Amino acid sequence: MNPSSVSSRFAVLGPYPRTAVAVLLLGAALLFSFGGMRTSLYPELLSVFEWMETTWFGYVGKTWGGAFALVQGGHLVSLGVLGGSVLFSDGRLLGLFSSLPIRDVIDGAHKVFVGALIVVAATGVFMVCGVAVKVYYLPVFWYKMLTLTVGVLFAFFVRKPLLDRNIDQVNPWVVRLVAMSSVMVWFTVAATGRWIGFS
Amino acid sequence: MSDQQKETDKTLRDDTLAAVVVSGSIVTFFIVYWSFEIQSVRELLEMAYG
Amino acid sequence: MNQLIYDIAVWLDDTAWSTAIHESYYLYNWIEATHVLTLMLSLGILFLIDMRMMGWALPNVPATRLAEKLNAPMLAGFVVMFITGILLFYAVPVRSAQSLWFRIKMVLLVVCAVNAYLFHKRMTQSLASWENEPKAPSALRRGAAISLAFWTVIVVCGRFIAYDWYDCDYGQTDLVRALAGCIDGQTRF
Repeated sequence: MNPSSVSSRFAVLGPYPRTAVAVLLLGAALLFSFGGMRTSLYPELLSVFEWMETTWFGYVGKTWGGAFALVQGGHLVSLGVLGGSVLFSDGRLLGLFSSLPIRDVIDGAHKVFVGALIVVAATGVFMVCGVAVKVYYLPVFWYKMLTLTVGVLFAFFVRKPLLDRNIDQVNPWVVRLVAMSSVMVWFTVAATGRWIGFS
Repeated sequence: MSDQQKETDKTLRDDTLAAVVVSGSIVTFFIVYWSFEIQSVRELLEMAYG
Repeated sequence: MNQLIYDIAVWLDDTAWSTAIHESYYLYNWIEATHVLTLMLSLGILFLIDMRMMGWALPNVPATRLAEKLNAPMLAGFVVMFITGILLFYAVPVRSAQSLWFRIKMVLLVVCAVNAYLFHKRMTQSLASWENEPKAPSALRRGAAISLAFWTVIVVCGRFIAYDWYDCDYGQTDLVRALAGCIDGQTRF
């Protein structure tokens, strides 16, 4: 994408449009979390979750525990692959595996990440449909969804645009900060996901 | 410096600033969230085992 | 053989630490969470290596260098999984020892270990003559495919252990009872 066409399209956001959008979204998330909107929206979502249990996914998940467990196994495998691609790519950014070409590692690992994310999301939706009303009432489920959203937005709209350019142009401390926060956010997604199983 | 180069530098500054803001927020949230989680686990264990 | 395994499991179950782990408020959950989350380190990296060998991912990254560099973190992950896996077994030994899924998982783990050894031996023997090719030679691709398939089954079997469909106490066929090594008291402990 031509940088000058991006700037002219988002000129209304000022000289730093990506930063402006990021700050606005963070502010909106804080307002939503600590303002009244969250508590008024929450009861509205119950009907959505009740509907999810009536879908084909919900019916299969509730009727055949084997199908649910099989999909859960697929969720675990794809979670493993997603985590592996994150650890590999971010490890390289942090200076590990230094003899491997950084550009090929970032690009190759990102493709694996996208594939794994699609499978994780698909299997996750199936599983939620099977236990929708139960997870609706679990705070840890909402923490996971929040962290997952942050992780996806971060991966595609902050991390990727920064790393798509020549890495040598980017401040190495910023690269390390991005790599560390990527590992943190995906670890939190996985850990909160595991804790849903214990709740 | 050409206009193209200036534009590239500007987008680099924008991407870098966005990365610092968001990553800093993630790290801060991570520290706060897990501190609360660890604290609540400690309290629960103290209640359970004395 | 099943009687021996059962006797060892009962002996382990009678130890204080076994009871301490499975009656602890959080410890069993933490061990299990560590076991599952370390999948990202061990299995995730293993799958990256296998997919590279198959030509499905990271085609421009030199294959043998990738395998060499990722070996250490992958093995560290497997060590953690091994330790946490032993602790999980130790916490509930009688039920686990008589679980069909646990036994299948253990057999497949041995198969995967042998496969990994043969894979590594073949890879070092070929001395990176194909390092920059997008796909590894066919023998190594076979090893990678076996690894991908069997590790997926291992993860699924691990998930199935928690379910009671083939538990000994629930009127199983003679074949299932023989394979699972049903002796006594799977759900007592």
